[in-house]
Formats: sequence, structure tokens, C-alpha cells
Amino acid sequence: MSGRKRSATRLLTGAAVLVVATSLGAQAEPAASAGPAAETCYADGWSESLRCYRIPVSADGEVALSVLVAPAVNGGQREPLYLLAGGPGQAASDLARLLNPLRKLNRGRDIVMVDRRGGGRSDAFDCGLGAETPASIERFVGKLATCYQASGERPLTINSRQTVDDLETVRKALGHSQISLWGGSWGTRTALLYQQWYPESLQSLVLDGVAPIGTKVFLAASAAESALVELQQACSDDPMCAGFGDWRAQLDTLLASWSEEQARNFPDPLTGKTVDEPIEAWMLAGAVRTALYDPGAAAQLPFAVAQASRGNYAPLSGIVGLFAEMEGAMPMGLTFSVACAEEMNRISAEEIASDAAGTFIGDGFIRVFREGCKVWPVPALPYEAPQPRHHPVLLISGSADPITPPKYADEQLAYLDHKQHLMVRGGGHINSARGCVPDLILEFLDQPQVPLDQECLADIQRPPFTAGNYGPALLPRVPEADSRLAEEQQSGSESAGREVAREVEGGSP
Amino acid sequence: MNRMWSARAVIVGLQQMAPLLRKELLEAWRDRRALLMAVCFSLMFPAALAGGTIFMVKKQSEDVTRLAVIGAERAPLIAEQLRSPGLDVEALAEGSPRALLAGDYDLVLEVTDDFAERYQDFRAPRLYLYVNSSDTGSGRAQRALQERLGALQQMVVAQRLSARGVAPQLLAPWRLETRDVSTPSSRGALILATVPGLLIMTLFIACLATAVDSSAGERERLSLEPLLVQPLAGWQIITAKTLAVASLGWLGSLLAIGALVLLMPLMPLAEFGIQQATTVAGVVAMGLVLLPLALLVAVLQILLALRSQSFKDAQTQLSILQIAPVVLLMVLDMAQIKLADSWQLLPLIGQQQWLKGLLVGDWVSPLWMLAGSAVTLVLVVMAILVGARALQRESLLSAS
Repeated sequence: MSGRKRSATRLLTGAAVLVVATSLGAQAEPAASAGPAAETCYADGWSESLRCYRIPVSADGEVALSVLVAPAVNGGQREPLYLLAGGPGQAASDLARLLNPLRKLNRGRDIVMVDRRGGGRSDAFDCGLGAETPASIERFVGKLATCYQASGERPLTINSRQTVDDLETVRKALGHSQISLWGGSWGTRTALLYQQWYPESLQSLVLDGVAPIGTKVFLAASAAESALVELQQACSDDPMCAGFGDWRAQLDTLLASWSEEQARNFPDPLTGKTVDEPIEAWMLAGAVRTALYDPGAAAQLPFAVAQASRGNYAPLSGIVGLFAEMEGAMPMGLTFSVACAEEMNRISAEEIASDAAGTFIGDGFIRVFREGCKVWPVPALPYEAPQPRHHPVLLISGSADPITPPKYADEQLAYLDHKQHLMVRGGGHINSARGCVPDLILEFLDQPQVPLDQECLADIQRPPFTAGNYGPALLPRVPEADSRLAEEQQSGSESAGREVAREVEGGSP
Repeated sequence: MNRMWSARAVIVGLQQMAPLLRKELLEAWRDRRALLMAVCFSLMFPAALAGGTIFMVKKQSEDVTRLAVIGAERAPLIAEQLRSPGLDVEALAEGSPRALLAGDYDLVLEVTDDFAERYQDFRAPRLYLYVNSSDTGSGRAQRALQERLGALQQMVVAQRLSARGVAPQLLAPWRLETRDVSTPSSRGALILATVPGLLIMTLFIACLATAVDSSAGERERLSLEPLLVQPLAGWQIITAKTLAVASLGWLGSLLAIGALVLLMPLMPLAEFGIQQATTVAGVVAMGLVLLPLALLVAVLQILLALRSQSFKDAQTQLSILQIAPVVLLMVLDMAQIKLADSWQLLPLIGQQQWLKGLLVGDWVSPLWMLAGSAVTLVLVVMAILVGARALQRESLLSAS
């Protein structure tokens, strides 16, 4: 049972494109308060109480969205900040954890989190693919097809236009004259579309992990490859990590030669036994790609790969285990409705092939969507070419982001004339909570016209690489320990072990 | 009929009292020193409160903990990872912890000789943390270090688990989510708890000098006797004096409220997660609920001063009178004793509760405020009658 759940996770981490934070639940308990029928409620990850609203968005009033508001401590003299989650489909209530780093911002501004239709607590369209998601693509797609058949018109109605219109309805219902938007990941797309369609309602934009309107973000193979190359570079600049030698080549070999037996005997990070469902090569590549989202996980990759190439799969299994917590991330009905209509319909087979060429992930990421959209027929919803906009925009990128690399923000946003771009060196996907970034966001929102002093970003560094079973090296280089470790690990394959030991001693890659 | 008559008698009495009241007010307000004292304290405590919070927050946010790491070169990663905006890390090869603590450093961390080796062998090497716990900042400094060190430790543990293929949630069989039911205004009540007590204390202090002067003072100056031979009833004399004294006390507390409300926007209350929610209606209500209390304090002070042996004795007694109730209120507040609603009928406690609520923008029942104020006023009337009877006693004048 647990094995099944975990393998679900692996597929979801492949499918969850542009996720912001870990998944959280929110429960409401009734309480009296002023305004449009609010109740006191809580969301996991934030200990203080929130105000929860259900705001009707359809003409007949039957469809209502769940809206969470963290009221400004100082009564909210400034425009509220709406947080738009990733996905497509991540629940806004999942962002409650972000309130901790944004605490200062919350003093003068209400922070509003809206669950879009079909997401989170707004009647999640999850196709029954919650904890019980099958690991194999075939069975996943089968379940998806059944769900589509049973859902009537619903897949046709869910799209970004509706989400943005609903957001505008919520803004009016809450009585906010102008708002600022923070978008994370896919949320940046929603924010940029809101800017196109409701420019009057918008004050400023903060976009973290930018998915511009014109960018085909699902073509993620080369972005993931660049992030891995940057990790390689950082590793070779580190005297200890350089000792792992050409772990990148080892990864390629591992993925290329991954056998059925290896897949079946892969250790399960939760139970300690072997996995119930085999871990195929594309899943392994998916785990590596997912690890690149978070620099802390990425720092463990060189060691894990080096170990795996010697036959010790425990560290690689440990990396898979890092994401075992991302349970039930996306309501798949919502994700596929939006992804198929707005992204997959504009991506050709040639583009997929050229994006996948020469990357470690290949089509391993996009395949779920390609296959899934075949059973999820929705008409293409192309975006119009974006019109020039003059709102102040703050862009935030991690230089090693495997899904929304900084070049997207640099190349595709020429129509915005008041933008600043913060680049976190070595940063992964979503950097709003790191180092001085929360302070810079606050500064930007308070004085959007003043260029930010970005010097403090240099203090944000990659976490130290894993050096051995003991964790990071306390001393820059401990050659004895490395060779001792190499000896320890020879049990798997004698010759491979010696080879690696030579590499380690050899030092430079 | 009878009641009509008595009401008219009171009005006539009050009219008769007018010249006396004018004289008392004139004397009270002409006493520069008493006035200055009232004004000074009224402005002093809000200023001190504002200055205090501003200073505290500034210190909290700007204070950088200075940490010396002895033997840092044995584990450079530690010093490197501890460095943060709030933690200034100095790597030293050698040093005496005692001397370093006596110097510029808040904390000294010593890395043992074989640290890195034992760390790699999983033999839990020691880090020695030297603190001076008699230093007021040492607790905060330790917390700052713990926070960084804890994060580093967590990272090491995460990597060790991963290296063995263990998912991190195996170490967290469940996740505790805290749900805080306090509201920004209830948090405000905690920090602003002393304010009602101080406002009430302002009343006492602003009344004090005038109360002593217009009773024991007049007696010593032998000007009380001529007043008593006037064709005025005892209650009229006491009422006139009470009104004069209370006017000063009330002015003092109004000034304090005004200063407080003006200074509140300057106080970094949001840093404490406190909402600034005092409303205009709240400020007006605060002023109004203090009026009956001002009368009560004034009349009690006058009575006490009249009973005292001398001017000096009166001053001493009144000083004690002013401290006792304020201390009582603060103890009540600090002990977090939950009082039933009916306690609001008691003077002082009632006013304290209302002020507290009004200050943080909580809803305070107007009915309880009216009822409690009525009780206070009844006590004022009773005290005036007691005072009137006392004035008839011969012994009063010969007390000195």
C-alpha cells in the first residue's frame, strides 16, 4: 500500500510542473466576523488565524471559490497582495507557509490566497487521482480517460481566462480597489494574463520563476539539462565535490543501462525494502530533475550518482524519498484541462524532439502530458500576443531553475517597460523565501519605482555538497576519508569501485 | 414632592457653592508647581513607553550577535554556515574564551582538535559554547546561534539520511501544526497591559498636590477655619474641593491619553504583531470613563488628607494610597486572573478593564461602563457625605 502511494508521488513529481511549496491542508471553523461572510480558519504552515471566505463567482451563484485572507496587522493601509500558486492546479492555501517569510509584508498589506475553480478547496477536480495514482503511464492515462468521460463539459470550461475573470470577481467582492500580485511558477502566467486583461485593477507584479505568456514552459527538457550543467559546474568548482569525478557521465550511463532487475530491486526510502513497483529509468531521471528544483536536494546528487554507479542505490533512493512528502499535489482534472488547452496544443512533436535531444531527461517529463492530452481532448486556447504594459514588475529567477530558467524572463517580456530582475545564483525553482529576497519584495512593493540594491543576493549560496555518508565535509578536502569511503563501497562491484577510487584520487574532472 | 424639594435644594446648594468652587478652581489651577507636576507625569509615561518600545525593537532588529569560533580552521564549514546578518562570526585560531567574552564577543564557540575526524566517523564530536549568562544579552545571543546551528545540523542530518536511502519523514512520525487563537489586538493587550494602570496612576499623581494643599494645606495656613464659618454646608465645601482637585487629575489623564494616542503611530507595534486599533470613539470613551474615577480619587485623597496629622503626614499617606491600588491592578493583570463581568462594577478594576479593551480596539460593553461608572459616582457621593460629617467635628481643626 505504502509502495503504491509513493510511486504515485513519483509520477506526480513528474506531472507537477510548476509547483511552489509542499502541499498543505486548510480547515475552517465557523466564527463571527465582519465583511462578506468570513469565518476564522487556519492553514497548515501558518500558526495564526486567517479569514476564510466563500465568494460566488458564477452568475447563478452556485460556484463559489475558497479565499483565504491573512489580514494586515496594521489594518492594511496599502494595496493587498494576492498570491497565485503554481501548477496549473496547485491550491492557493498551499502557499500559507510563505506567510512566514512574508511576515513583514503582511504588516501593512492583506495577503489573499484564492483557490481557483477545480483546485484546492474550490471543488477540486482531482479525477479520483489523489493518493492512489498509478505509477505507470499507461494505467495513469487509463484513469484519466475514464475521468474525462465522466466529467461532461467540465474539462472544456476550466482555463486561465476563467481563473483570471474569477480573480477579478473576488477582488471586487473583497472591495479592493487595486491589488498587487505575487505569482509563483505557473502562477506567474496567471498573473501576466491578469495584467493583460485587467490592467486597471493592478498595481504591481512580483513574479518568481517566470512562465511568460509566449513561453512553452512544458518543453522543460533543455531547461532541466541547463540546471544540471550548472550543478556540474558548481560541483567542479568545489574541491571536495570535484573529487567525485565525472558523475554526469556516470548518470548518463546509469540511465542508459538501467535494467529491469535494477528497477525491481531499487530500495524503498520509506520501508527500507525493495520497491513494490519497479523504478524505471525515466522515473529515475524524473527524480533527478525534481531534485534540481531545490538546491538542498541538488547538492546531494553528485554523491548519490557516484554511489549508484558503484551499485549503492541507497543515496539515490534517499533523493526520491525527499519528495515522498508531496502527497496529492495536483487535481489532475484541472491540471490537464489547462495544460492541454493552453500549452500542449501549441507544442509540436518536432519541438518536443528538439527540446529533448541531448538531455538527461529526454521526453520523460513531457510524455505524461503528451499521452494524457490524447485522452483529454479540449480545443486549443491560444493566447493573444501580449500588449505593452507599464506596471512595475519584479522578476525573480534562480540561475539553476530546471523549469523556468532566467532566460525566459529575459527574452520573453520585452513588452513590459518597468521591470527589474533579481537573479539568485545557484537558485532553483522559487526563491521568494530565501535570504534577503522577502525584504527586497517588500521594498519593491513599497517603492516600485526605485531600483533595488541587489547586493545582498550574493549572500545566498548553494548549500554544501554531500561529501560522504557523514554529510557535508567540514574541511574543504579530506582525501583520506574519500578513499576510505571508496573502499567501503567496493562491495557492489569490485572493478567499478576501484575505478571510482582512482577517479577520486585523480581529483579534477 | 419631598424628592422634588431635595433635588431643588441640591441645585440651589450647587448655585450657592459657585463662588466657593470658583475660588477652589482658581487656587488649584494657579498653583504652578502642582500643575507642572500633573502635566509632567502625564506626558512623561507615554513618552517613556514609546521610547522604550522603539528602543527595544531597534535593539532587537539591529543587534548583531558577535561570535568567536576558536579552532575554526578545524571545521571551516561551521563558521561559514553560521555567518548571517544577525550573527557576526570571527574565526580565530587561538584564544581564551574568558578573555574573549570579557571583550567584544557575546559568545565563544570552541571546535575541538579532532572535530572533523570524529564527525566523519560518526563519533559525535564536541562543540563547546562559552557564555556569560550574567550578561543580559546572552540569552538572545544563544538563541541566535542555536537558530543557525540548528539549521546546519538539520542539513547534515538530512544528508546523512538521504545517503542511507531514508526518507526524511521517517524521523518525523507526525507533524505538529500550531494554531494560535490570539488576535493581533489580544496580543496588543499583553504589551499594552501596563497602560491602564499607568493612566490611573496619572490620575492619582495629578490630583495629589492639590488635594493635600486644599485640605491639610489650608488647615495649616489657617484658612480652613474662615471657610467653615461661611454659611455653607459641609457637602458644598467638600464638593467644591473635590471638583477642583478632580479637574486637575482628569486633565492629567486626558493629556496622557492624548499623548499616548499621538505617539502610538510612532511605536513599532506591528513588530510585535500588534494591531493599532484605537478608535476615535474609543479615545473619547477612555476620557469619559476616567471622569468618575477622577472624582472618586479626588474626594478620597481630600478625606485622607483631612484626617492626617499634618501636611507632611498627608503627603506620605497619599503617596501610599496612590501606589497601593496601582500595584494591585498590575498584579491582577500579570497574574492573568480571569475576572467575572461583574467585577467591572468595582471602581479601578472596572476602569482598568475598559481602558484595556478600548486601547486595543476591543468591544467594551457600554452598559457595563455605565453601570460601573454609576457605582463609582455613588461612592463619590457617599464619600462627600462622609467628608461633610467630618468637617463638623471640632477635632478636625485642632489636628495640627
